[in-house]
Amino acid sequence: MIVAKKVMKQMEETGWIRRMFEEGIAMKKTYGDENVYDFSLGNPDIEPPDTLRQALIDALEHPVPGMHRYMPNNGYEEVRESVASYLREIHKVNFTPNHVYMSAGSAGGLNILLKSILSKGDEVIVPRPYFMEFKYYIESHGGVIKLVDTQDNFQLDMDKIEEAITKKTKAILLNSPNNPTGTIYSEETLRELASLLYRERKTGKKICIVSDDAYKKLVYGDVPLPNIFQIYDLVIAVTSHSKDLAIPGERVGYIAISPSIEESDSLISALMFSSRALGFVNAPALFQRIVARFQNSSVNIDEYREKRDVMYNTLIDAGFECVKPTGAFYLFPKSPVPDELQFVRTLQNEEHILVVPGRGFGKEGYFRVAYCVPMKKIVGAIEGFKRIGKKYY
Amino acid sequence: MPISKNISRLMKDSSWIRAMFEEGEKLKKQYGTENIFDFSLGNPITEPPQALREELIRIVCSDTKGMHRYMSNSGYEDVREEIAAYHRETAGLPFTKDHIIMTVGSAGGINVILKSLLDPGDEVIVLCPYFVEFRFYIENHGGIMRLVDTKEDFHLDIEKIGSVLSKKTKAIIVNSPHNPTGVVYSEAELKDLAALLNERALKGQKIHIIADEAYKKILYNGTVLPNLFQIYDNTITITSHSKDLALPGERIGYIAVSPRIKNGRSLIDAAIFSNRILGFINAPAIMQRLVGGFQKNSVDILDYQKKRDVMYSILVEAGFDVVKPLGAFYIFPKSPIPDDVKFVRTLQQHHILTVPGVGFGRPGYFRLAYCVELDMIERSRPYFKKVVESLKGER
Repeated sequence: MIVAKKVMKQMEETGWIRRMFEEGIAMKKTYGDENVYDFSLGNPDIEPPDTLRQALIDALEHPVPGMHRYMPNNGYEEVRESVASYLREIHKVNFTPNHVYMSAGSAGGLNILLKSILSKGDEVIVPRPYFMEFKYYIESHGGVIKLVDTQDNFQLDMDKIEEAITKKTKAILLNSPNNPTGTIYSEETLRELASLLYRERKTGKKICIVSDDAYKKLVYGDVPLPNIFQIYDLVIAVTSHSKDLAIPGERVGYIAISPSIEESDSLISALMFSSRALGFVNAPALFQRIVARFQNSSVNIDEYREKRDVMYNTLIDAGFECVKPTGAFYLFPKSPVPDELQFVRTLQNEEHILVVPGRGFGKEGYFRVAYCVPMKKIVGAIEGFKRIGKKYY
Repeated sequence: MPISKNISRLMKDSSWIRAMFEEGEKLKKQYGTENIFDFSLGNPITEPPQALREELIRIVCSDTKGMHRYMSNSGYEDVREEIAAYHRETAGLPFTKDHIIMTVGSAGGINVILKSLLDPGDEVIVLCPYFVEFRFYIENHGGIMRLVDTKEDFHLDIEKIGSVLSKKTKAIIVNSPHNPTGVVYSEAELKDLAALLNERALKGQKIHIIADEAYKKILYNGTVLPNLFQIYDNTITITSHSKDLALPGERIGYIAVSPRIKNGRSLIDAAIFSNRILGFINAPAIMQRLVGGFQKNSVDILDYQKKRDVMYSILVEAGFDVVKPLGAFYIFPKSPIPDDVKFVRTLQQHHILTVPGVGFGRPGYFRLAYCVELDMIERSRPYFKKVVESLKGER
């Protein structure tokens, strides 16, 4: 066999996602794109802000010598300064360019961060349901994932987190707004978590919060996104510009290291080493310069909110049980039958509606609906959801 | 918040590189950048070809819907097809888009392939002197690096390679044109290597050649790079557009898997998966669209050749023992004293920044990267002479 055993095993684990994906493609071929309602992918259909496109043209029409060359592994200093200035403003914490590390999206940022902090056997706590790639990211760098169930409303369960903490716990990986639930962890919850981690500190456990902030600008205003940097000291946030600026294919984001972390210099050196060793080297040059100018911008949130409302109301009207999301562009309703895989197939076969079964996020009995699609697709699926609701409820 | 133990150890190992770099920076501040001859970095000053810049503007202005979105983890189909066509033509083999995976430069590509291939304890042969990051790439994915010295002229020592082959050998990394020596392996020696590996294949052991072809277009005096796909079946090449199109900061390259690899499909699937889970997801979208049509283009190679000629003549004139490079933009002379680190420090005192051979696993040598202004190379001439003069008393 050519392929590494570990990779083979991981690929088998996710094989059913691929099969579903392929069935979806086949279905689109058979029935036509317009007759299939695909809510399975987190690949937004929206375009970057017009001003961003103009900035790209400007940058290329007025080239700066060396603009496509290597730069320091952590990115251009002026870009890091403009990110730091944005972070100072929203977090009221004294970020400098040295606390910002430009990365190849948040997936790239998480990988170089985990490689930099994990020794073999170190544990990372991840609340479940969760974005499954986290498991592979952690395992790639010798870490062990410790899954901890959230409460029924998808908020953190402090008792369960406390139970999961061991001497080996290095970090807890939070994703808020959350994929797949759209939940934002409340300020109260995060304060409880912080006091738990400070209590653990007294017994010698230095646990950091790694915050995957990929959806941080997709917040609908029902609940504000708490300022995690003001709540806990050992915080490292990983941000992507994939969603807020709608440039996922360009792979640019950054790591923000809390100025309260004393060893931030050695962490940055480690990140530089890890990004070279893993082959990232640096975040793509051209888009670093672009995103520097768009720290305060975002795609239109109102549009997403409207889609969320229509989708949520559709599901509730059809009889589904569902926590109303306050951010990101996902909903995570309960499946009407315990075997959600069976339900997802029924939805696919009878209504040509594609969603992802909850087991794809470590949580059976649920399914994920990604509503980052044109409104007419959502509206088009209303009747289908209603019919399937009648069948089960 | 302590960092990973393994990383701390590795960083400590390489801390002297940092120290040297910092000394160089200090010198630049003290004497002015124009009075320091910095040959330490492989970061070319060359700008991308004009046609490529224009194409990039055209792409951005075209405002194609969805042009900045995710695409398949392996990259755009049409781009992969363009690259496959280039390979059909140059290798004469039935490459299709499925044999090509767009990657985040060659560093990204090599990591992806190694993760896809290596089980814990598998061995990868690396030819010394070597680009030190290869070690980290291999160790990232649980592999073990087996170093094999090349000959005095930096060409392959087939016997030595044969002697380190074991049941655990999974791959050999071949980097030609070579960093740090500028050597280009000949067709004959690569055929010898293929014959050696084919003996193993008869016994059921599949050893892959992973060819790091980051410098494949930078060849001098009509040197032709032998086509490894024609020489050995189990070949995977990794291409970067950092040097040929002068886009190192944009992180764009690709993996090409030989159509002759049996069950190659499973390797390709694994590589696509690894590209995703290592966090690359996909190569940067806009750069993918750009490079597809530039497979036959490159920056001005004659410009590099001129720099090579001047650099080589300066070194020979000053009395250095040096192999004339046929490609890349590095030259790897013997240090006049056995302690290369000490010699590199002496060079520093004469305002010349280089990297000691120990940084490439071969003490007693030093590396010069001549991807700098020609004028700077010219101006360094008397300084090299002075350094050699200054050593005469010592010897």
